[in-house]
Amino acid sequence: MSETSQLSGLDADASRQSDSSDPGLCNRSLRENVRKKVDAETQFRLSLKYLSEVEAGTVVKGNDQLERNLVVVESVALSRGLSPEAISILLDFALSLRVGGNICLRVLKFLIPATIVTQDAVVRGVSWLCVGKMPMSAQVLFVRWVLTVFDLVDCKDQLRDIYGFIFSFVTDENLCPYICHLLYLLTMKEHVKPYRVKKLLDVQAKMGRQPFLSQLLALYKVFCPELVVVSLPSRMKIGFKNHNSPWKSALAAVQRKNRGEVLTDQSLVLAVKEKPTSRKRKLHHLEIPPLSSAFHSSSSNRKVFRLEQLSSFSQLLENLHNIELPAQMGSLLSSSLALHYLDCVQDESASLRLNFWLGDSLHQEFLFGPADGSSEASGEASHFLSMLLSTQHFLQEGFSSTESFLYKFLSVWDGSLFRPQILGLLSDIPLVPSSCIKTLLFEPLMQLYFTSTVFFKCSVIECLNIMLVKWLTWHSVSASEDSLDISLNSTSAMSMTLSGFMDSVMELVRFVGRLATVGLQLENCHALLLCHALNFYETVCDMFLKYSLPLFVMPPVGVFYPALFAVDSVTVDQLGYIMARYRKNLTLAKKQEQQKQQTFHVRGNTYKEFNQLLVTMVSCLWNSKMFLPGMGMEIGEDLLAQSSVPEFWNSFDLIHHPAFLSYAIEFHQKCWPERRDVDLNSIKVGKYRNWYMEFLLNQGFDGLKEFVQVNINQRSISSGSQGDGQPVSQT
Amino acid sequence: MALLTPFNKMPELNTANILLVENEEQFQTKLADVIVNYEKQINVNVRLARKLPLPIENADTRPRIDLVVFIVNLIYERSLQAMESSIKHLDSGFFVGKVCFLVTGARCGSVSHERLLSVRKLAASLHCPMLCAEDQTTEGVRAAALRLLSIVKVSAGLVPTATALYLSALTRCTLPAELDQD
Repeated sequence: MSETSQLSGLDADASRQSDSSDPGLCNRSLRENVRKKVDAETQFRLSLKYLSEVEAGTVVKGNDQLERNLVVVESVALSRGLSPEAISILLDFALSLRVGGNICLRVLKFLIPATIVTQDAVVRGVSWLCVGKMPMSAQVLFVRWVLTVFDLVDCKDQLRDIYGFIFSFVTDENLCPYICHLLYLLTMKEHVKPYRVKKLLDVQAKMGRQPFLSQLLALYKVFCPELVVVSLPSRMKIGFKNHNSPWKSALAAVQRKNRGEVLTDQSLVLAVKEKPTSRKRKLHHLEIPPLSSAFHSSSSNRKVFRLEQLSSFSQLLENLHNIELPAQMGSLLSSSLALHYLDCVQDESASLRLNFWLGDSLHQEFLFGPADGSSEASGEASHFLSMLLSTQHFLQEGFSSTESFLYKFLSVWDGSLFRPQILGLLSDIPLVPSSCIKTLLFEPLMQLYFTSTVFFKCSVIECLNIMLVKWLTWHSVSASEDSLDISLNSTSAMSMTLSGFMDSVMELVRFVGRLATVGLQLENCHALLLCHALNFYETVCDMFLKYSLPLFVMPPVGVFYPALFAVDSVTVDQLGYIMARYRKNLTLAKKQEQQKQQTFHVRGNTYKEFNQLLVTMVSCLWNSKMFLPGMGMEIGEDLLAQSSVPEFWNSFDLIHHPAFLSYAIEFHQKCWPERRDVDLNSIKVGKYRNWYMEFLLNQGFDGLKEFVQVNINQRSISSGSQGDGQPVSQT
Repeated sequence: MALLTPFNKMPELNTANILLVENEEQFQTKLADVIVNYEKQINVNVRLARKLPLPIENADTRPRIDLVVFIVNLIYERSLQAMESSIKHLDSGFFVGKVCFLVTGARCGSVSHERLLSVRKLAASLHCPMLCAEDQTTEGVRAAALRLLSIVKVSAGLVPTATALYLSALTRCTLPAELDQD
């Protein structure tokens, strides 16, 4: 019925196309094509019909008719995929072993679905499995096939109904890994029963701690913690291997092809499809699956609300208690309402499932993917990563599977592939314990950092800055509840003490200090890199005031001096702001320490370091003193004399500093418009100095203004005499 | 067996010479094109070889080599073996920051993972950096070329603030984190 309409549609199409060009020739060849297509179609149907009617015990050897029909079906299957009915027929034909085990294996291997697989077919297959006549290789292949097409099975409620039957195969040594994976995908809370847990533990005792068993037990534990009392490692590597190898490439090819042809040719799709969008779902992992329920509404007697029905936020609020998770957790990523739901329910099974899906997809596509250079594939991949990034920003939390993926990816990264997304994801990773931060994060980053361009260096420092801000924010939120024991994030059982947290932050700050110092040296104090390094220290200097973390780390001299002697005024201004903020933080810490309000202790060395930097900066900029003993930078007098720079001590005061020279000259011109020869030293005299300071600080140098206000007392400004550094007292 | 030595010839002004060694001869030409076309400030000469030792005939006319890059395609076992046999023909003077490994196909599954591990072990034992590259895309080739350029500039002595040994101390390969054991 559907076929005839299809045919007339094709005919009409052909004649329409032929109008545009040479009518006779084109028409004929098109008709020929159509006829060939129809012939192939009929041939395929006849073959299918033949196979469905083959009697048990038919001779295989030398049976040309059987062979011919098999070849017809096989070629169609591999080129275009099979319709749900054809799958159903062929599965029945193969698993019934009417023509023996070898044919069965052969048929299973080309069972490539074009669209979906009906649940009935899989259930019937399982029942053949239960008959127990199939050879082991066929059993394994069948279960692997089910795993491969699992996401293409239209719904899974009946499969869940026969959970017990499937579970019974766990004891089979050969089938166990695959069965565990299948059960993992099917398990609901009501399936977790004491006797099943016991059985699994028995199997584990027999086979040893296999990852697939642990993974299934972990899921059981999530559903019913009281039933599974054994301890399981908190961070497990993904326990299931992928079993889709025999079908992967063919399935991917068929799906890619069908995607292109979806509008032009549907003649092989026997059934009228309800949802043409569900054509392609898995095995191109990066497609975010559409929301679809795991159940038929008819068979589920609980009152549940499915996520795909959700259309407004108020609906979500009303049905929050009985929302059912979708069949595929990946689909959550595409719906912001679903993410709201995920955020507010602390459902561990949901995050476990989502993490499993995500980890698998990321590994498949980015670490085991074929080297495919097509722009389409990379566009899809970068879209997927962007989507993941925005999801994590929405949840304000990184997924643990993303984290472990990133550690692996960093070590094989070329530094350019998906750079914005990878660095974005990297800045999202939760706090890394200081014991492993070096090997996981710093070493791969260092190798990339020092061999890449200055722009990459900037983006790495920016990424680490964002990471630090996120860690600190997370600390200030969770520390207010309990200052000592902070659980790492909502999904992980790992907890960390305050000192552990401070260690990690310290490691990160020191690491960036090294990156910035050496980077500036290699790039000859590139202004952009300097700016990013100072941005980082803007975060660092305010850790106590903004995030109440009593940790003070001074910028290394390799960052401080390039910034102080920079030729652009913005950098010096930024440094002024940072030093002013350091002073405010340290002063407050000192005050609290003296009043015994806090239990922390700031090392005396910190004050000493700060004071030294401060004295140097004030002497250079304000007091026109340089290279004096005790200033951190000393140069012998004879060397300075050799350099024959006149009045070298003036070179970096606010008038002669290369960053402010242009302002000084402008000021000079405004004061003495008639004077031809510029004598900047005349600005230093009397009231001109105060005017100049006022003029300079009103040019928008807010950081410098703050620095002057905090560090140099008003008396010295008004009297024009030498200011003093007023260091923070050390005791 | 003639060793290739790094210091037996005088350097030329504003010139860096880079030697790309690749058994398959696929990636090196693409890389060479990008390197030569990209760098305008200094003269970068790219020399290509399938394997070491280099032929003895043009040893005299050959300029001083500032950086030897071994390109290893992890998809082929042969590529790894060729590199391992070539590396014996280098003078020890090169291993102070004038050798670097460039691997391609590092993201292609479990087979290449073992080879990646052995290249990494070799690089770590020789204190050399190991870079990963995407050879299939033009963007990937460009990124790899830029990274090689930044290394060769240092090892040819064109960056006044850094030496080859200094950079290699910062970038040298470390043995991989045992991620799989947690």
